[in-house]
Amino acid sequence: MSVKVKTLDDLTLPPPGADSPLSTQEYFINMGPQHPATHGVLRLLLRLDGENVREVIPVLGYIHRGIEKIGENSSYRQTIHLVDRLDYLSALMNNWVVSMVVERAAGIETNDRIEYIRTIMAELQRLQSHTLWWGVIGMDLGAFTPFLYGFRDREYATDIFEETIGARLTMNYIQPGGLMNDIHPNFVKRTKEFLEYLKPKIDEYDELVSGNAIIQKRLVNIGILSAEDAISFGTTGPVLRASGVPYDLRKIEPYGVYGKVEFDVAVGQAGDSWDRYIVRVMEMRESVKIIEQLIDNIPEGDYMTVKVAKAIKPPEGRYYGHLETARGVIGCFIVSDGKDKPYRFHLRTPNFNNLWCLTKIAKGWKIADLVAIASSLDIVIPDIDR
Amino acid sequence: MGLVNLRKIRRAKQEIGGREVAVVISPRPEQTRLGTTVWQTFKSLLTGMKITISYLFRPSTVVTQQYPENRETLQMFDRYRAQLKLVYDEAGGRLCNCCQICENACPNQSIKIEWTKNPDTKKKELERWIWRMDSCTFCNACVQACPSNSITFGNEFESAVYDRRLLVYTLNDKAGPDAKVWSAIEDPAEREKLMRKMDRYSGPIPLSGTSLPGNPSGKEG
Repeated sequence: MSVKVKTLDDLTLPPPGADSPLSTQEYFINMGPQHPATHGVLRLLLRLDGENVREVIPVLGYIHRGIEKIGENSSYRQTIHLVDRLDYLSALMNNWVVSMVVERAAGIETNDRIEYIRTIMAELQRLQSHTLWWGVIGMDLGAFTPFLYGFRDREYATDIFEETIGARLTMNYIQPGGLMNDIHPNFVKRTKEFLEYLKPKIDEYDELVSGNAIIQKRLVNIGILSAEDAISFGTTGPVLRASGVPYDLRKIEPYGVYGKVEFDVAVGQAGDSWDRYIVRVMEMRESVKIIEQLIDNIPEGDYMTVKVAKAIKPPEGRYYGHLETARGVIGCFIVSDGKDKPYRFHLRTPNFNNLWCLTKIAKGWKIADLVAIASSLDIVIPDIDR
Repeated sequence: MGLVNLRKIRRAKQEIGGREVAVVISPRPEQTRLGTTVWQTFKSLLTGMKITISYLFRPSTVVTQQYPENRETLQMFDRYRAQLKLVYDEAGGRLCNCCQICENACPNQSIKIEWTKNPDTKKKELERWIWRMDSCTFCNACVQACPSNSITFGNEFESAVYDRRLLVYTLNDKAGPDAKVWSAIEDPAEREKLMRKMDRYSGPIPLSGTSLPGNPSGKEG
């Protein structure tokens, strides 16, 4: 994506005071690519009038690694470890979506145990991602304490992953035909302990940040994204649900064992930053509910249904699958020509669309609000550029 | 405008795509009188302060590893993936039989196995088991693919070095036949004759340039 400039006049700014109450001249300023509040190497080109944001132009490509192209040159199993690096806070869901499509394409069947573990892992990852986001939004709004608390609670979930999987961030756990290894004997005990620990902590989050008058003033009625805009920008996940659209693939097209569990979809009313904030906090409670229903009922079975050393060769055709990550819908599109490598490997990632609605909703607010709005969108930059 | 009453979460059913979905609807700010708003505001600030202060007196909730102070007692999880290792049997024979399945499974060519064929026994003999840690992503594909379970990941996570070239390891400390041949011979002195000692850094060195000081075979890879 590049900035389109038709003529030189586009870059000529209006004279001071032309359409502004302040008698100042508008100016462009770069926010990023190295800026602490952009959560990564994202460059936002801002047209400012004093401190008022007139226009936001996201400039992408600073962290493009060509994951889709590398995926076309590696076998289906090797592709999995690459998608960890898209949205690294939803690594397991990214693994899952590729595995899901490859399984569908090659006709690989999994068993109940695998699906149960996958669902529990995905929800743990959602909790881990949301606790981190909660800490980061606190820091973006000027409060450092939530950052420490968020990372503290995330540590417990990360330890669970580390014990079972052996890695903390880029895990490569969910694979076509099953899982990398079986759950650790301590997994169930540890997960239960974590949930018991986290439930009072979410209430503490509410007391410390959600209930705080300053935080509420910074979020309520700021950056309103209407349901129509949310849909036309293609946003998904908590951003779309905060605008009042209860679109959640876990409910609408249940995958894994989401069809067997009871949970509610958290939706907002106005679509402002506050709704995007509180929807995620409510989602944490729902995730706890989902794991609690599943953790005691993991059935027996194998953790891998196919031979790992055997190459996967799906028949010719086009395959698509999607699921709900912590940030929205990730879709994976594979064109197979019958060989052991995909002919085309494409990913539809949630953050790209979620970022783009910033161009509309940040208009007219102050720079400090822009930071709050961008933080409430919960964008992960490597997922945008991939 | 007053504060948000966080307890006021409504549960309802909403329709999307011809499907009814159970939803929880977010709480919104309520209209309150000025006095109430001021009181609620002060109360919210004090509630947050109460939590922060309570942590001041409960430092036991710290979960951070106090590394490197706890270096002696730090216990990593068994499955933690840090250093790739070859597996040896009880007699000390190397299980790896140079089948190179791991080399093909590796997504970024971090493994290279150099072997020679022994003209007498017509069997593969390992020369160098090269692991390029500088390009390894620790994805576990090699360990999973190995048919003879002859490689594993160890827990030694302190692997920082000053020169990137030092991240190319020769994992086998001895070159020679695998465990099947090794275990068939009973005399330990005879066994040792079959093997040649290998240096951890005797593999090819990436990044063209000078050889490393202290590394005799600093050939370009």
